[in-house]
Amino acid sequence: TASNFQFVILVASRLVLGAHALTPSHHLAASDVARLEAVLSQSFTDLQSAYYSIVGLNKLGVSVADTDEACRFLQSNVDPTSIASLFYAAEASQSLSGCEIPVSNETRDFLLAAVSEDSTISQIHNSVSTLSSLGLPLASQEVVSALTSRITKEDNVYAITLALQTAAHLSQQADLSGILEEIEDLAARLDDLGGVYLQFEEGLEATALFVTAAYALSDHVDMEPPLKEDQVIQLVNSIFSKKSWDSLSEAFSVACAAAALSNNRFHVPVIVSALGPATVSHRQPLLQLQVTNVLCDPLTSASVVVESASSVTTKSAILNQSPFSLRDGIFELNFMNSQPASGYYQFAVAVTGDSRLVANHIELKVKVSTEVVISNMDLSVVDKDQSIGTKTTRVDYPSKAKNSFVADSHQNFAMSFQLVDVNTGVELTPHQTFVRLHNQKTGQEVVFVAEPDSKNLYKFELDTAERKSEFDSISGTYALYLIVGDATLENPILWNVADVVLKFLDEEAPATVQTKTLYVPKPEIKHLFREPEKRPPTVVSNTFTALVLSPFLLLLILWIKLGANISNFSFSPSCILFHVGHAAMLGLMYVYWTHLNMFQTLKYLAILGSFTFLAGNRMLAQKAVKRYLRLSTEFQRASLKALLHKDGE
Amino acid sequence: MAASLFSVISRFLEEYTNTTPNKLKLVDAYLLYILLTGAFQFLYCLLVGTFPFNSFLSGFISCVGSFILAVCLRIQINPHNKGDFLTVSPERAFADFLFANTVLHLVVVNFIG
Repeated sequence: TASNFQFVILVASRLVLGAHALTPSHHLAASDVARLEAVLSQSFTDLQSAYYSIVGLNKLGVSVADTDEACRFLQSNVDPTSIASLFYAAEASQSLSGCEIPVSNETRDFLLAAVSEDSTISQIHNSVSTLSSLGLPLASQEVVSALTSRITKEDNVYAITLALQTAAHLSQQADLSGILEEIEDLAARLDDLGGVYLQFEEGLEATALFVTAAYALSDHVDMEPPLKEDQVIQLVNSIFSKKSWDSLSEAFSVACAAAALSNNRFHVPVIVSALGPATVSHRQPLLQLQVTNVLCDPLTSASVVVESASSVTTKSAILNQSPFSLRDGIFELNFMNSQPASGYYQFAVAVTGDSRLVANHIELKVKVSTEVVISNMDLSVVDKDQSIGTKTTRVDYPSKAKNSFVADSHQNFAMSFQLVDVNTGVELTPHQTFVRLHNQKTGQEVVFVAEPDSKNLYKFELDTAERKSEFDSISGTYALYLIVGDATLENPILWNVADVVLKFLDEEAPATVQTKTLYVPKPEIKHLFREPEKRPPTVVSNTFTALVLSPFLLLLILWIKLGANISNFSFSPSCILFHVGHAAMLGLMYVYWTHLNMFQTLKYLAILGSFTFLAGNRMLAQKAVKRYLRLSTEFQRASLKALLHKDGE
Repeated sequence: MAASLFSVISRFLEEYTNTTPNKLKLVDAYLLYILLTGAFQFLYCLLVGTFPFNSFLSGFISCVGSFILAVCLRIQINPHNKGDFLTVSPERAFADFLFANTVLHLVVVNFIG
């Protein structure tokens, strides 16, 4: 039991891990690979394009159309004074069988001299690759030290990728550990987009070249690259999401990455897809899967097994550890042998046989479809009070009932039938079971749903009186159709079962049939502007204006009567200025009412007000002094008088 | 009853005309003017309607405010009340009256619309 328990834990953990692992959402189909080949097969314009084409096609396992001509092209276009030119020619010639680029001693020295700290990584890469392709010796340790010092100066993705690629050409005795660490550092710079893509911000080409270089170096030193399985799949998604390429160099990088991912010692991503729709039926009982690597080559050595297949609705398991058989590069399984009921099934497929396989657990949804047959179609007209016995008519698909059925408002029309799977005899409940009544004369159509009871027997009842509103109470002959459909049915049914004559009470029928006008222009809505308020007539307004102003006249009259005068008006400057300022303030009030806003008014009021205040202050002070003097003189005179009076006594 | 009321009123008017100084009578005339103006505005509002309600309000408030300020002025310049307003000279009262009226009419003109 302990070992059983351990086994269960192991299986459970594997299933859990399998459930979380990523599977590629983007991959190259066979047509995409063909397109890639076509892009790379374009005729060469210069040495660089020749390099891309020849080496790219070689990576895809295809050779150039005319190898001799290609070789001649390389030999005639190579420029011994340019390291890049030598690189293209040498690498391309390596891919063509029997093509040699003759190289002089000076050229060799020139290439060796390029390996130094003063050259760029690109130059070091080109010369090291050329020397390696031509079979010439080179000093690996010198290369390593030159690269290490250049990496600190050139810290961009392209340069470090080239450094990795260079190291893959060096002797295994050299100390490549420093350069090997760069793989991990560079992988950390990849951007994770939504958990699906992993790519450099520099783009597709940089990502593809990185993958190529990382696996080239890892294979060379036989150490697994520090990339997790999910990261590898995300890289696959990024590199193979683009199916048409902007430039020859981009196509070349994708071809290199595809070759690297399908043939390295550590990680081989598996692409599993169903051939056509993942549907099986009695006519097509085989579930066919394409199990390939990223280059669409079938993995014929792998074993493909259905770990479990269970129904989506009932969750009952149908299959457990059933193998697929390989035929012509396609993996097949006869699912109908297990006699599944129609519906959807969740498959968990595992691809094993090679420890390098990545994303080799796949979830797949498979549809089992079937054909339906209608049996026991019984039509009858039933009296509501059930006084007259029912007369049922059996109709067989696809014929139509000979007589039409008549139902008026006292009767119900009833229909019952069964839907059965033609192969297994099991009752089916498809998604769509509709009863359609179509009045051929008026074009009306009313659709009802037929529902199954607990024993999966479909029943439909039309209560003429109750449903009269749907028919607009229009009597006449209606053709009755049965519509059966479902995603898992291969033969949807539209069957004119019978004609039904419906009689409604004539008073309720409308005179003419109104076709439902849903899509005609609606009546225009006129916008009602806000009505201005009603104003009183001008006469009234004018009268009241005069009335309100009249007390002012009264005031003037009273003041004159009381003897108000301006005889005491002093013409001192402060007095005049005060009156001028005050008048200006009153004028400002009027202007405020007609033109200004509060802020402007406050501004002017501040100026005028302070001016008026100063003038007024002086004026009132002068008045106060005058009053005080007057009072004091009066007081003095009065006291003098009193004194004299007293003396006079 | 009417006779006694009549005699009270005539007595009051007599005393008023004789004892009140001229300055105060001027202010009283002004008060009467303000009162009548306010009353006529209110009458219009009752009879015709409140259509530009903001205008009515500002006009009416102007009358009420001016009345109150004039009453304050009258109290402060009345020689009888000199004892209550030792720090406030008649000139100071008049200056206050002018300032307060300015502020009031600024708000009134703002609201009159």
